[in-house]
Amino acid sequence: MNQPKLLLRRSLTACLIVVSLLIGDKLFAQDGKALFQANCAACHAVAKKLTGPALAGVESRGPWSDRKKIYAWVHNPVAFAKTDTYAADLMKQFNGIVMTAFPQFSEKEIDAIIDYINAEANKKPETPAAGAPANEPASDNSLLFGILAIVLAVVGLILLRVNSSLKRLNDEREGRPVFAPLPAYRNKTIIASGIILLFLLGGYFLVQGAVGLGRTKDYQPEQPIYYSHKVHAGINQVNCLYCHGGAMEGKHANIPSVNVCMNCHMGISEYKGAPIIKEDGSKLDANAEIQKLYSYSGWDPATNSYKNAGKPIEWIKIHALPDHVYFNHSQHTKAGGVQCQTCHGEIQNMNEVKQFADLSMGWCINCHRTTAVKFKDNGFYSIYEKFHNDIKNGKMDSVTVENIGGTECQKCHY
Amino acid sequence: MRSKQIVTLGLVTVLMAAVSCSEGPRRNPGSVYMPDMAYSRAYETYAQRDTNKFTTNVSDADIKIYYDATPVAGTVKRGEITHFPITKDSVGSTTNYEASKAVTNPLPEMNEKEVLEAGRLYQVNCGICHGSKMDGNGPLYNGGNGPFPIAPRNLLIDPVLSMPAGQMMYSVTYGKNMMGSYASQLSTKQRWMIIQYIQKAQGKNQPVATAAVADTTKKQ
Repeated sequence: MNQPKLLLRRSLTACLIVVSLLIGDKLFAQDGKALFQANCAACHAVAKKLTGPALAGVESRGPWSDRKKIYAWVHNPVAFAKTDTYAADLMKQFNGIVMTAFPQFSEKEIDAIIDYINAEANKKPETPAAGAPANEPASDNSLLFGILAIVLAVVGLILLRVNSSLKRLNDEREGRPVFAPLPAYRNKTIIASGIILLFLLGGYFLVQGAVGLGRTKDYQPEQPIYYSHKVHAGINQVNCLYCHGGAMEGKHANIPSVNVCMNCHMGISEYKGAPIIKEDGSKLDANAEIQKLYSYSGWDPATNSYKNAGKPIEWIKIHALPDHVYFNHSQHTKAGGVQCQTCHGEIQNMNEVKQFADLSMGWCINCHRTTAVKFKDNGFYSIYEKFHNDIKNGKMDSVTVENIGGTECQKCHY
Repeated sequence: MRSKQIVTLGLVTVLMAAVSCSEGPRRNPGSVYMPDMAYSRAYETYAQRDTNKFTTNVSDADIKIYYDATPVAGTVKRGEITHFPITKDSVGSTTNYEASKAVTNPLPEMNEKEVLEAGRLYQVNCGICHGSKMDGNGPLYNGGNGPFPIAPRNLLIDPVLSMPAGQMMYSVTYGKNMMGSYASQLSTKQRWMIIQYIQKAQGKNQPVATAAVADTTKKQ
């Protein structure tokens, strides 16, 4: 009678044991990762030499094939280095920096960390995401319309000729006097319309050229290093002000010096994101661009140190105002609270930056006429007592830049 | 015959116009009306100096104008507080790093507005690695999935939790391990502000500044 129940109970226990073992094993592997990230990852990476050596394949080097020696090293690196020449040499290689001691680690925890390191080292590199969607340029219909217009014009011309021929035939038949047809170059109508057409076209292009002279909208120079704002400010969320902090401090939104690049690129020496497609359709070798930065800064990624003095990168200025215009960034960003993108476009989506606005005077003035300044609780505008009173009394609801003299000539030209 | 000629001429014009318009990105800035009004006669920021007139070499000082663009040692910017007094360690030494523990934050406790500003500076300059919550998991590390290969320090636990303000200032000023120097991005005052902000988040009592820091360049 009891036999089946016993069997059931036994199999249940067996199942429980197996499940708990499985879970336990999983927890263990995760522990290794968690322990590594919390304690080791500040100085060590698995595949890369950083503040400390790369840990991949650690067991095949020096004395580390012996787990006991690893325990001894982790528990007290200084003492172990005195007994082992390999460890002493390692310390010398890293400028005498000794690893932090972790006496609190049990041997099991160290095992878990090493298991995690081995698992990471044996992981195959992930295949890059297949076929990123190609950015197809938006189809432009102006060419089609142009051809259509020309075809219609030709048809119209032919119809005119047909019309005049028919008229001549008709006149002949009805016995009216017929004038010999004039060749096109002596036909006054054709000459007059030709001149008018030339005048219009010439005038259009002359005016366009004259207005555009000195304006650089859409200017997109090739920079000395292919620096993608999309990768930095877009995907990796680096704040604009991290590199261009001067925008809040003064006239210039400074161009970062090489050491600002190196703040991150001491560690980041390879690009792992989606492939970057250049303007000419070819694929960018992003790692080669990072190497260019290293040659400018004199950084040697093999030894993680500067091997020679750096030299500045000669970035090409895109948004340039003529010298006779005064412009101050901090006035707009700090006092005005204007976003970078208002004038520079969606920089975070641009690989190569191009000039977004035409930076013409009309463009400036338009914005000054329509934009309401942040008047409330802004110490910068506290002297405009009359406007503050008017707002309080409900006489006006907002103050534009023009109201406070933002369209006066001398504000920007002096 | 004639109409055929006209049609061909029209098509050729259209093709030429199309070719001249679709030339890809604009790589040329074009020209300006009056170059002497558009381009500064004075040396603008980042402009290259004429090497026939200027030199960065002291020994040529009597032939050319000597100017190397670095401020004289000990220069204090207008409105700025005095420099961090500790110099950078030579490679392999930690003497000054240890000595920096004794330096205290010279700023008095920040008011509400200054705390906001310090928070903004932290988010712009530090949050990218150390995380907006100071947990060492900013977008660049992102739990090991970001591009940065190494885990930035969690600022709310040891060793940073027990680190004195002076030593934090040393690391921010000169860099430490894989962190670079922020002296070029943040002024001395801004760095101290951020440190006070972090220590506030760590729940520490603020260092009591003995006296409000005098603005050394203020007119009397």
